Amino acid sequence: MTPRALTALVAARLYEQRRLVLYACAAALVVGLLQPREAAGPVMFCSFLGILMALAQSPGRYPHLDRCEQSAPLFGRELARAKALIPCVAAALATTIYAAAASVRGAPDAVLMLPIALAAVVAATLTALSATLRLRGSRAFYVLLAAAASAIAYVLAVPAHSPLAEFGFCAIASFLALRQYGEALARYDPI
Amino acid sequence: MPLLRMRSASFRLGSWSVAPVTLDVEPGELAARTFASAREAAVVALMAAGIVKASSGCVLIGDFDPRVQSVHCKRIAGFVPHEPVGLEERDFAAYVAYRAALWNVEARLAFERASALRTALGDMHEAFALPFIGALLAGPELIVLDRPMPAYAERILRVAGGKAVLSTHTNVAAARAFRRRDALRATPA
Repeated sequence: MTPRALTALVAARLYEQRRLVLYACAAALVVGLLQPREAAGPVMFCSFLGILMALAQSPGRYPHLDRCEQSAPLFGRELARAKALIPCVAAALATTIYAAAASVRGAPDAVLMLPIALAAVVAATLTALSATLRLRGSRAFYVLLAAAASAIAYVLAVPAHSPLAEFGFCAIASFLALRQYGEALARYDPI
Repeated sequence: MPLLRMRSASFRLGSWSVAPVTLDVEPGELAARTFASAREAAVVALMAAGIVKASSGCVLIGDFDPRVQSVHCKRIAGFVPHEPVGLEERDFAAYVAYRAALWNVEARLAFERASALRTALGDMHEAFALPFIGALLAGPELIVLDRPMPAYAERILRVAGGKAVLSTHTNVAAARAFRRRDALRATPA
């Protein structure tokens, strides 16, 4: 996949979802101002936003983009990487705004919490992406799995005081989730 | 050599399935096929464009199997969906740039080609014209139309030029409009 195709695909989706991204950023700003000191805030709340952004990639919400992507000469794994980037960019933006708002409110460790929150948010978002290609129980399972990934990341980073373990866990979870999503997308028949 | 070969190609989703389809489309041929339901027509068009993989039977697009070489198939077949796109004329340039990027067509060339096609399609509504122009941008050898509007048949076939065209329909009159040369050599499996 060329960088041009990747950019076009991500930009087109983000443009279509601009309102959703804006609402997510506004919500992150408000919660960041209200709850600046607790690490659970950015990790849990921004993971929740990431899961919502991931679910917004479900087929059928933007049919003309879906059809273009499905008929484009792209491999399933290439399309998966590009589609995974969209909610990750949106969720990362919301997380950064949360950290900025918390920093403005005088939270001393807001900037330090940013990489911890970002790692958890990316892992949760990528895990939730697999839910977009599934229905009912299986869909709910992936959403719960995404929430669990975020909770485990929080436990490793904050109560266990081991940010490195959290980064390692999130890297592995993200890798597996992206691989799973790519395989599901390659098998997916858009009927 | 046929550009598209479908041999008892069927698709199954739960208890619902598409009856096996067998057809050949040669280069330059205009082929139109009628189906009992809109869903069946849509699925066959998607299979012919390499977007949906047949559950049983065989589909070959220019000798490539969509189950293994879907990227090659999608370079040969351009798919035009039935649903109109929710875009307006002012979105034309952005839409062309987007399609050109996904199909790796040079932006300037794509825009020139798209502008010429838009002029050739005349007053065809943009919601139907844009997907058709988008499908033609990368110069596919086979154009697959999912239930196109018969009112646009003449313009679509004129613009398609000498390319092979396969269209799926739910009524015979619409299929007849897209089968002027009666070139379909399809036989029920």
